Amino acid sequence: MKELIEYIAKSIVDKPDEVTVVEVPAEDGVILKLQVAPDDTGKVIGKEGRIAKAMRTLLRVAAIRKGTRATLEIISDSPESSDSSEDSS
Amino acid sequence: MESIEISAKSEEEAVDIALAELGLSRSEVEVVVVKRGRGGLFGLGSEEVRVRVTPLGLLSNEGVDVGGMAKEVLENLLSLLGIPASVNLGARESGEQAAIPFDIVGEDLGILIGRRGETLSSLQYLVNLIVSRHFKARAGVVVDVEGYRQRRYESLQFLARRLADQVRSTGRSVTLEPMPAGERRVIHLELRDSPYVTTQSIGQGDSRKIAILSKGNSEA
Repeated sequence: MKELIEYIAKSIVDKPDEVTVVEVPAEDGVILKLQVAPDDTGKVIGKEGRIAKAMRTLLRVAAIRKGTRATLEIISDSPESSDSSEDSS
Repeated sequence: MESIEISAKSEEEAVDIALAELGLSRSEVEVVVVKRGRGGLFGLGSEEVRVRVTPLGLLSNEGVDVGGMAKEVLENLLSLLGIPASVNLGARESGEQAAIPFDIVGEDLGILIGRRGETLSSLQYLVNLIVSRHFKARAGVVVDVEGYRQRRYESLQFLARRLADQVRSTGRSVTLEPMPAGERRVIHLELRDSPYVTTQSIGQGDSRKIAILSKGNSEA
C-alpha cells in the first residue's frame, strides 16, 4: 500500500526524490502519511482534490486485497497550499 | 512501421534480434510467439522459436511511445494493488486524437470496477495523469475491465434512444442520473443527430447529469 502511493506520487511530482510515505499503525489498519516538496503539494491533491481522491480509491482496493484498512493523509508544510492549486490544463 | 517475424534458438534471442532491427526497446513492442521451439539434445533436432514483434507505435511522439508506457504504468499499478491480471492493448481507431484502449483481463475483477465504475475511473484517471505528465501531452488512454465499459456504453445508448422516444411522445424533458464525463459523452453522441430531441449537461462535478429536451414543433 505504501509502495502504491509512493509509485503514484513519484510519477506525478516534479521532485520525486522528495516524496516520502510513512506508514503509521491505526486502530483498524494503517495511516499513510504522504509528504512531497512544498511546490508539489498541489500535484498530489489536484483540482478539487481529484488526484487525492483517485489515490484514495485505489488505496482502498489495495487495502481490501490485504484484508485491512488504510487512510491517506497528505502532509502539507505550507498552510497556503490548499486543496485547490495546480492542474488546470 | 510494420511487424516483423524472427526465428532464433530462444525467445529472448529472437526478441533481441527483432528489437535491434526495429530500433525499439521491449516496452515499445508487442511480442507474439508464433511457434514454440523445441530444445533438442546439444542442439540436435531442436526447433527454433519464431516470434512476431509489432511496434506499438501509438501516438508516436519523436520515438517515444505513449501506448507502451501506458501499458507499463497500468501493469505496475495492478501489481501494486495486488491484483493478478493482464493488460491487453485493444484495437485503436485511426486519427491523432484516437483513444488508446486497454482491456484488463483476469479473474474476479469486480473490485477493479467498483461502485458505478468509480475504481475503474480512478485507475484510468491516474494512468492518464502519469503518462501525460511524462510526455507533456494528452495521453487519451481508455481503460476497460473485461469489456465492462463497452457493455455499459451499449446499455447507455439503448437507454438514450428509449428516453428520446419517450421525450418525443410526451413532450416532457427527462433528466438522467449523474454520470461521469465519458458516459455523458456516449449519450450526447447517440442523440446528436436526433431531429426530435437535444441533450444538455447540467450541474457541477460529481452531480453533473444529462437532460434530454424536446426540440418542440417550432423548429423547421
